[in-house]
Amino acid sequence: MIDFLYGAAALLLLLTGLGLARMMWGPAPADRMMAAQLLGTGGGAIALLIATASGITAIIDIALVLALLAAFAAVALTLGEPGTKQPDGQANP
Amino acid sequence: MTLLPDLALVLLILTAAVWTVAVRDRRDAVIGFIVVGLLLSLAWVRLNAVDVALTEAAIGGGATGLLLLRACARLVPRPAESVLPHPAMWILTGLLCSVIAAGLAAIVVMPVEPPATLAPEAAANMGELGLGNPVTVVLLAYRALDTLLEKVVLVLALIGVWTLTPEQFWGGAPASLRAQQSSGALRLLAQVLPPVGVVIGVYLVWNGADHPGGTFQGGTVLAAMWLLVMMADLREPPEIRLHTLRLLVILGPVVFLVAGFAGFWIANGFLSYPPAFAKPIIVIVEAALALSIAVILGMLVAGPAARAPR
Repeated sequence: MIDFLYGAAALLLLLTGLGLARMMWGPAPADRMMAAQLLGTGGGAIALLIATASGITAIIDIALVLALLAAFAAVALTLGEPGTKQPDGQANP
Repeated sequence: MTLLPDLALVLLILTAAVWTVAVRDRRDAVIGFIVVGLLLSLAWVRLNAVDVALTEAAIGGGATGLLLLRACARLVPRPAESVLPHPAMWILTGLLCSVIAAGLAAIVVMPVEPPATLAPEAAANMGELGLGNPVTVVLLAYRALDTLLEKVVLVLALIGVWTLTPEQFWGGAPASLRAQQSSGALRLLAQVLPPVGVVIGVYLVWNGADHPGGTFQGGTVLAAMWLLVMMADLREPPEIRLHTLRLLVILGPVVFLVAGFAGFWIANGFLSYPPAFAKPIIVIVEAALALSIAVILGMLVAGPAARAPR
């Protein structure tokens, strides 16, 4: 069972790792960010699998933090899209 | 057989890191940096360093990414080609980086025999303090002075950012963090996520005494939730002249210092705790520090004041 869990974690790592191709090719920043999002979700799943396989329950907390903050980075990308002005009159490049 | 997934992870980290350095667009490089942070956090999991993995996931994946993306948005755009440095600079940078990498690799590949470690002694005395997490014991008891100075540096960093405020805006609020298009989805997220996030942040701080977790991770999660609310335009960043804000910024270091000086009377000296009260003191210091870290990180991302005080 433990081998199966580690195997599943490895498979997930490979599959989410393929998402790096999207990070490199892009072309838009949103496409690249989607690869980071995929890695955040996949990373959470991998952490959960390793936590169960190794019996170190603290690793579950890492999955928790990854799940919580993965969405956060995507929101951050909406800051400062080029060519817009902020309502307080400050030019936003 | 078990080596293969680890090798794949190393390969992924190297690929993402090289791409991050090589890519020309600033924002793409920041996204690459976030990806490297996520992968590194998995690497720390594989090395059984759960505390480091948590920090990397919270700070590398979340807070630093936002900080850098906001910096990108504020910088004047320049065509990518015009910023190429002199070739000699390239070679020098490459050489220095290679020396550092080779040095680190040498230390890892050829360790000192017998390995110089204080881990057995640190673990042997843990019982006296009543804490279960060796990392917290080292951070807040054995090497408390380092941790104290580290928090003071955070306050100095915030003062540094605030000194960039133009004269006429001093005391006012930082520029709004709101996203360009106000979106219902973002508002919903900013209303649903923070209650959960605040619980997880407090949990990480509380848990830090006995299990992996701690002030910095918890404080970062709290800061992230506050920033999310500001980005969704539910709250504006506070004016930097507010006394409550400034008190919160110095609360952690002040409580830490008070606990430190109290050590002269109730224990053996600066930053030492009497065994019977070690755990309550450390938990109180941690709670105050987490609050200060959350406020400082939030205000660091918000940046210097950009509006006149009302």
